[in-house]
Amino acid sequence: MNSIEKNLLELNRIENLQQRSHWMNRLHPLGKLLLSVLYIFTVVSFDKYKVTPLILMSVYLIFGFIIGELSFREGIYRVRLVLPLVIFVGILNPFFDKRVLFYLGTFAVTGGMVSMLTLMLKGFYAVLSSYILIATTSIEDICYALRCVHVPKTVVLVIMLIYRYFDVMAKEADRIMTAYTLRAPSQKGIHYKAWGTLVGQWLLRSMDRAEMVYESMLLRGFNGDFKMRRKEVKKIDVLYPLFWIIVFIIIRHF
Amino acid sequence: MHTGVCGEILKIEHLSFGYEKGEKVLTDISFEAHDKESIGIIGSNGIGKSTLMKLLVGLYLNYEGRLEVAGHTMDKKNLNHIREHVGYVFQDSDSQLFLSTVEDDVAFGPQNYGLSAEDVEKRVTSALQRVHIEALRKKQTYKLSGGEKKLAAIATILAMEPDIIIMDEPSVALDPRNRKNLIGILNEIDALKLITSHDLDFVMDTCERTILIDDGKIIADGKTDEILRDKELLEYHGLELPLRFGGC
Repeated sequence: MNSIEKNLLELNRIENLQQRSHWMNRLHPLGKLLLSVLYIFTVVSFDKYKVTPLILMSVYLIFGFIIGELSFREGIYRVRLVLPLVIFVGILNPFFDKRVLFYLGTFAVTGGMVSMLTLMLKGFYAVLSSYILIATTSIEDICYALRCVHVPKTVVLVIMLIYRYFDVMAKEADRIMTAYTLRAPSQKGIHYKAWGTLVGQWLLRSMDRAEMVYESMLLRGFNGDFKMRRKEVKKIDVLYPLFWIIVFIIIRHF
Repeated sequence: MHTGVCGEILKIEHLSFGYEKGEKVLTDISFEAHDKESIGIIGSNGIGKSTLMKLLVGLYLNYEGRLEVAGHTMDKKNLNHIREHVGYVFQDSDSQLFLSTVEDDVAFGPQNYGLSAEDVEKRVTSALQRVHIEALRKKQTYKLSGGEKKLAAIATILAMEPDIIIMDEPSVALDPRNRKNLIGILNEIDALKLITSHDLDFVMDTCERTILIDDGKIIADGKTDEILRDKELLEYHGLELPLRFGGC
């Protein structure tokens, strides 16, 4: 299996998660989107030396993963590309902030160490909360929620089309790679002489496919606006975010 | 969406078209089609069958001649109205299905035409029932088999309740069972059907009228049974007799 195929499979797995009939998936997307945004804002707003409340904020993620029946290991694996960034973002703090805050036995814990930890936790939480949102909400639903908060339809349309055309381009790349590999079995990667032709072919074929998808949309009445089915708001759609907002307020202020 | 138009709902007079100036892909095409007719458009590769079909849904508007669909002249002004009455099933179902689930994709057309949520729901259910894929309603489109994708693609069109259904090579890549299933479904559809195909046995099973095109021109237009039995005519234009009549 080549790397493109693996990535496509990965994308399909996330779509599988999004299409589950779990109650968290059925929650109104607007509530989930706003909750995720609010969670990230709350987490980011903590003082750089406040570790305890930040650790308490992990309750939302723990709940999301356990009750949402999401695998934590898979979650970490899927956000692996962003994690190094999150880890390295505060790595220089211990060198700049050497003020001793407290001692652990004889070991002096400096402000830089604590702020590095809080920065890492903030990034880590933000990434994982986004993962919970993505794993329980389809791209159509996220776009629906964005429209509910009056994000311009052009922006929403661009997000939707990028997602769809990404799939089209990845599939074309996969086909080309498979065809190439089958006729160059002993070769590692693509020969530099073939790169130009393959990339050119890939773009042309992707454009053709994208055009067909667009024609199919036009022929079914598409006029520049994705009309989505209105989703009913149930009690749970209000109570769930409300519960978490109260929890966030309690952790943030007490 | 049904116009309620009876009789002649497609009228083509001296239609000519070329992608490049001076290079005609279609020349002087004229025919009429009536409500509930089923017409096979046959011909060898690259003679302009798909181009003709795309002209009928207004994907190309720079044609010469006269083209009237559901009582409206094909031009930019009437495009939206015409497309409400014409459904196009692509050869490649992957291009037709672009939303996450079958249900979402089937609902896409009716939603765009401003139907109420209740009506959209009814249309989706009815379309899925007509192609016997109710069980696939919540299934993700990428998980469908080739045959299922074709049926889902047809359902996306049926949900719009068009007067005219255009199908580009519908039997391509289908196994015998799915092919047979598709024939049964097509024969139950109550609309004008225009089917392009190289599978002449498929045309034989689904169309009472056949138009043979070669070199961008209509060569023959008549009863399927007569045209598809004419070995000399078919072979002269790069085709062969259907298998049932001894073709290879």
